Amino acid sequence: MRGWQGFIVLALILTLGVVGTAGAAELSGVTKTEIHIGQWGPQTGPAAPWGAVARGTGVLFQMINDGGGIHGRKIVYHMFDDQYNPAKTKAGVKELQEREPGIFAWAAGVGTAPGLAVKDYLMEKKIPWVGPSAGSLHWITPPQKYLFAVYPLYYDEAQILVRYLVTKEKKSKFAILYANDEYGKNGLKGALLEMDKHGLKPVLEVPVGRADRDLKSHIMKLKDSGADTVIMWVNPTHAAITMKTAAALKYEPQWVTSSTLSDAPLMSQITGGLWKNVIFAGMIEDPESTSPYMTKYREAFEKYAQKGERWGVFFLAGIGFVEPMVQGLKKAGPNLTRARFVTAMESIKNFKGIMGNVSFDAKTRQGCNEVYVAKTDETGMKTIRLTDWMTVR
Amino acid sequence: MLNFLQIMVSGLAIGSAYGLIALAMVIIYKTSEVLNFAQGDMAVISTFVAYYLLAQQGWPFIAALPAALAFAVLVGMAAEFLFLRRAKKPNLLGLIIITLGFQMILFGFTSWKWGADPKDLPFPVSPFGAFELGGLIIGHLEALTFLLGLVVMAILFLFFRFTKTGVAMKATQQNLAVARIMGIRTRRVLLLAWGLSAAIGCLAGLLLGPAGTVDPYMMWDPALKGFASAVLGGMTSLFGAAVGGYLMGVVENLFGFYVSTEFKSVVPFAIILIVLILKPSGLLARHYVKKV
Amino acid sequence: MDIKRSYYEDVRLFGSWPQWVWFLLLLAGLAVFPFLAGSYYTYVLSYTALHIIVALGLNVLVGYTGQISLGHAGFFGIGAYATVLLMNKAGLPFLVALPLAAFIAAGFGFLLGLPALRLEGPYLAIVTLGFGLTVEVIFEKWEFLGGSNGPPVPDFPLSFGSGLTTDQSLYLFIMALTVAVAVAVRNLVKTRVGRAFVAVRDSDIAASCMGVSLMYYKTLAFAVSAFCAGLAGGLFAFHLGTIDPTTFNLMLSILFLAMVVVGGVASILGSVMGAVLISFLNLKLKGLQLDDFASLPLIGDQAAWFVQSFFMETGMSNIQFIVYGLIMVLIMIFEPLGLYGFWIRTKVYWKTWPF
Repeated sequence: MRGWQGFIVLALILTLGVVGTAGAAELSGVTKTEIHIGQWGPQTGPAAPWGAVARGTGVLFQMINDGGGIHGRKIVYHMFDDQYNPAKTKAGVKELQEREPGIFAWAAGVGTAPGLAVKDYLMEKKIPWVGPSAGSLHWITPPQKYLFAVYPLYYDEAQILVRYLVTKEKKSKFAILYANDEYGKNGLKGALLEMDKHGLKPVLEVPVGRADRDLKSHIMKLKDSGADTVIMWVNPTHAAITMKTAAALKYEPQWVTSSTLSDAPLMSQITGGLWKNVIFAGMIEDPESTSPYMTKYREAFEKYAQKGERWGVFFLAGIGFVEPMVQGLKKAGPNLTRARFVTAMESIKNFKGIMGNVSFDAKTRQGCNEVYVAKTDETGMKTIRLTDWMTVR
Repeated sequence: MLNFLQIMVSGLAIGSAYGLIALAMVIIYKTSEVLNFAQGDMAVISTFVAYYLLAQQGWPFIAALPAALAFAVLVGMAAEFLFLRRAKKPNLLGLIIITLGFQMILFGFTSWKWGADPKDLPFPVSPFGAFELGGLIIGHLEALTFLLGLVVMAILFLFFRFTKTGVAMKATQQNLAVARIMGIRTRRVLLLAWGLSAAIGCLAGLLLGPAGTVDPYMMWDPALKGFASAVLGGMTSLFGAAVGGYLMGVVENLFGFYVSTEFKSVVPFAIILIVLILKPSGLLARHYVKKV
Repeated sequence: MDIKRSYYEDVRLFGSWPQWVWFLLLLAGLAVFPFLAGSYYTYVLSYTALHIIVALGLNVLVGYTGQISLGHAGFFGIGAYATVLLMNKAGLPFLVALPLAAFIAAGFGFLLGLPALRLEGPYLAIVTLGFGLTVEVIFEKWEFLGGSNGPPVPDFPLSFGSGLTTDQSLYLFIMALTVAVAVAVRNLVKTRVGRAFVAVRDSDIAASCMGVSLMYYKTLAFAVSAFCAGLAGGLFAFHLGTIDPTTFNLMLSILFLAMVVVGGVASILGSVMGAVLISFLNLKLKGLQLDDFASLPLIGDQAAWFVQSFFMETGMSNIQFIVYGLIMVLIMIFEPLGLYGFWIRTKVYWKTWPF
């Protein structure tokens, strides 16, 4: 009996003013003076270090707004915390999309799972999305008209690294330590593919669970296998634990890792200085470089970034993934519609910001395929370029 | 053979850490019959305070350690004083919810104050120095953890057996009302138990921190394993907690090395299930039969 | 409140005509809702309804039978995976796969209930905790279930008429199920089985002396709560559109438990209120910025200054954990009966005025 009153309460609360107008307008998110761009990011929860990506995009937009905006419009940036929880991502995207004034397009956005939860919704509503912050194959298989991927595929990165190791460093006894998720498994696949091309097989493949803190048995297995090169496709915390455990066990192979761990000063710091002579793939210019884009962004960082923000790879990724979007907005001209934006994006050829070469066309939705191979030096804080930007094809 | 011994060494070292956490939990359970889910985060916040003092304020370790321990004691006492005492005759579920809530508050606070980036804890004993013992490599930190674990256990054993306060604690758990009648200041005893438990947790955090990174979730996994160890050994037996910890560490590592690293985290719970089915109160605890 | 004069009065669904009318109005309101509000609010309400189903089931186990479960996210996940896999791999239609998946979850619930017969208190909590964690690990690692990506989820196949979008059809379906589950659970707890549960909770030894079969009722309680969680899980898969194995983690189990306890143990209305509150908070506390602090009346500027100097701004959304934690702790301290307790107190206060 009494239970029903609960439903009454529920209904009353909700009908008391929640009746809003539905439906995305034909052109939501754009007014004469504003463009609304949204992003989700894990600001809390276990993936919180990646929250810097969303904040990096914020700083980029502030810099652009200060320079007068794009064709007289300022970018209004909507960022929300989805805790890497796809249910929250979908809720947040729907909320922002349907509330006045709506969102014109979505930028970056960390995570394969969160992204997949909203991909269908966005594509159905024909809302552009540029630069998902996950190098997964999901965004481009099959290619979607409104989805432009920028992050080079983990799959490609791994191939490039292995190719370099086999041809230039003449390594042949590989072991792979990979995270047990999309990211790690794609890296594993790529590495295996490339090894196979050279007729090699890894001596050992060791998966690492997400919450594992004690990696002694993993490292012991690696040591036992006698591998002289270990490819790490894990997150920074696991990498730090790996390096420390291996040092304690006196195991010193050639460590190789992905672009996720390319932030040398950060890695040096959390490994207590062990990050020496590590070969890695880089997808973003060295943060210390003096190229014109990097200098501009560094100034913007000094001016706008929050206190305590790190000038590191994740932050810069938030800028690098969104640079093509900015280009697209500029090229689309003052008469901005989504269709025009898509055409403008497709016309981007050989754009080089702080990442590798970005090009799209009518059929291509994977914009950037380039990474470079580098190595940290004896101090662990500086990086030495070993190759130029290269692609796998 | 060498690998087996090496794994045993690692297992015992990490087992000491689990054992410390298990001890902390058992102390609380022995005195207030509460399952303290906030153990992990109490340890984390104290470790972060230590990090703050060491890395950001530049204190020497000899000063930061007691400060962190003192902070931990305060946190533990605050938990008892502010939350548990105020609850009106709560049952087990209510107590669990209170500790879970407290854990969330601590977690939110830690993440908010220090951010989520992983950090490195400066520690006087280097996590990658090691000495060799005939082919066996024993890390300095591992040895320290193991020794410290033994020392703490010995101290606690003596404390509970021979000092007045220790006996008072045992009495408080067995029957609160009668203990009060007998003149034991139960409120103080409870505060002390929580403070002590938090301090031991802090020690565990300080030992686990340098081996990896310091970030707000560093203790989620170890706390669960510590919890599992406490249950394995029996929630009312300190010795059982220690044994449970070692057993857990060793079996986990052996499984990880010889069978599969993928399912390593599941092994503790499989063990517990089997043990509990055979001995419902854990390995070393006495099974109290409830009267109706 | 009112004295029951016969057994029938105790068990009947609606005590009087007005309640019946209010209920119908409520149903009408819920049915019309998606056509008035936008897709976002429909989404929110569906999300809340799913949590209501889980909370109802969990309350049967925790509130009425006095057991404890820290692994309910596992049943939720089993329901989700089972529904999708039965549709993908065995080719069963949705209306067969969903109940079947719920029964599979109930089967696991039964299995989990078996150790419960021997264990109590903290030991039971640990075993359920272990169950939840094991299930999560298996979801991630076992390739047959889709591995770390989760299996692809087919589109929601039912449609209640051609002018409706999938969202709206899904909402109506979920709401109908929620109402059905609530009625079913309410009937369950008011009749013989419910009384047996309560007897087990209050004193299991005495209950078994009176002829209440502990084995049967304890495992039944687990199975029923697992059934509800599995049902909700299956619907959740369609609601979200993807399945990600990391969603079914310890945090979710804790959230479920919090819904039950905060709302009120052993009360249907309590489960509903708790689920609504926690779901609402879950979705709302996302976009907290510094400006929200500054806009607090009176202490706004000081609060903003304090927050900025003492805390890292980048971690602002962590406030949601503090809020959850505080709610959980404060409710348990001040009102052990949860939100339902507040409701009862308010009603008693008004009804017994002016005494």
